Amino acid sequence: MNPTERPPGRTPAGEERVLELGLPAEDKRLLAELAALLELADPLPDDLVVRTRFAMELDDLDYEVATWQRDDQLVGVRGAAAPNTITFTVGDLTVMVSLAPAANGNRFDGWLVPGGPHRIEVRVDGHEPATTSADEGGRFALQEVPKGITQIVVHMAEQIGQRARTVVTPTIVL
Amino acid sequence: MTDGQPPFEDVDWRELTGYERHAACLVAARAGDTKALDALVTDLTRLVWSVARGQGLDRTAAEDVVQTVWLTLLRNLHAVAEPRALANWLIITTRREAMKFRGGRDRVGPLPDDAMEQLPSVEGLPEAEALRSDRDRMLWRAFGHLPYECQELLRLTVLAGRAEYDYVAEKLGMPRGSIGPKRGRCIKRLRGYLDDEGGMS
Repeated sequence: MNPTERPPGRTPAGEERVLELGLPAEDKRLLAELAALLELADPLPDDLVVRTRFAMELDDLDYEVATWQRDDQLVGVRGAAAPNTITFTVGDLTVMVSLAPAANGNRFDGWLVPGGPHRIEVRVDGHEPATTSADEGGRFALQEVPKGITQIVVHMAEQIGQRARTVVTPTIVL
Repeated sequence: MTDGQPPFEDVDWRELTGYERHAACLVAARAGDTKALDALVTDLTRLVWSVARGQGLDRTAAEDVVQTVWLTLLRNLHAVAEPRALANWLIITTRREAMKFRGGRDRVGPLPDDAMEQLPSVEGLPEAEALRSDRDRMLWRAFGHLPYECQELLRLTVLAGRAEYDYVAEKLGMPRGSIGPKRGRCIKRLRGYLDDEGGMS
C-alpha cells in the first residue's frame, strides 16, 4: 500500500511498514516475520494505552513523576494479586500506603516522609477522586477507595525549607 | 519533506502520517487538543514500550517507565525543541528513565558505533512462552543473539517505519547514509544466527 493512500489517522502495522523499505525481497520477508514475532513475543499490555491516557488527565501540569518501589516479592505479581503495601518515592519524598479490603474497594492507610499537612488525591478511573489531608506527622487515611486503575497525586504543602510541589505516580491496578 | 518548509503546521494532524503527523499532534496538544495527545499515545506507546523492554526491563517495570515517559512529555510539551523529532525525544527519554530503573546503567550505550555492532549479546532475550512454533522460537533466539544496537535498530525499523526511523537515527547521531548499510549488516547477522539455529531464512 502506498503511504499516500493510507486512510488518515491510521498508522501502518509492522508488516506493512516493512514493505516501505528499499530492501531485497528476502530481507523484507525476514523483517516482516520479525515484526509479527515482536507483537507475539512481547505484546503491549492490553490496558497500557488506557492507563497512560488516564494518568495524563491532570489539571496541574507542574508536577514531578514518582517511581513505584517494588521489592523482589512484588516483581511480576502486580495485576495477579494486588499488593498489601505500596511505596513510591521522588527526590526526598517517600509515600507508603497499606491497603486493606473494604466493602467496595480498599481502605488506604498512608504515611508520607517528610511529614506535613499535604493533600493526597487518589484518582481511580471511572470514579470521583478521593481526597484527604495528612496530619503534621504525615499520616493519612481514606476509608474506602474503589478498585481499578489508580493514580496517586500528592500536593505537598509549602513549609519552612520546602516549596509547594505536586507529585504524581504512574497508574497501578489495585 | 525533511528539511523544507514544515507542512504539518498548516494541515490537520488527522490527515497526516509518520513524523509529520506526530509533529502536528504535538503542536495541537500544546494548544490544548487532548485528542491529538491521545493520538500520540496510541500511535507511539508501542515504540516507547519496545525501547523500555529493549533496555532489559521486565514487563511491570516497563509499564511504569512508559507512563513516566508520557507524563514527562506532558509536562514538557513546550520544551520539545523539534516536533518532527518527537520519536527521537521519546526514545532518549525512555532510555534515560529505563537507566534510572536499572540503577544508572545504559544497556545500549549513548551512541551506536560499529564496535557495538560487532559485539554479540550474551544475555539474549527471555524465552517467550507465547511462541508455539519452532520457527518462531528459532527466530526469537537468533534475534536475541544480535548485539543490542542491532536489536534496537531492527525493532525501531519495523515499529516506526524506515522514513521515521531514518530521521530519528540521524537525530541520534548516526551519520546520514550509514543507516541503510548498518541495517543490511544487522539483517545479515540475523540470518546467520537463524541458519545456526537450523532455520531456513
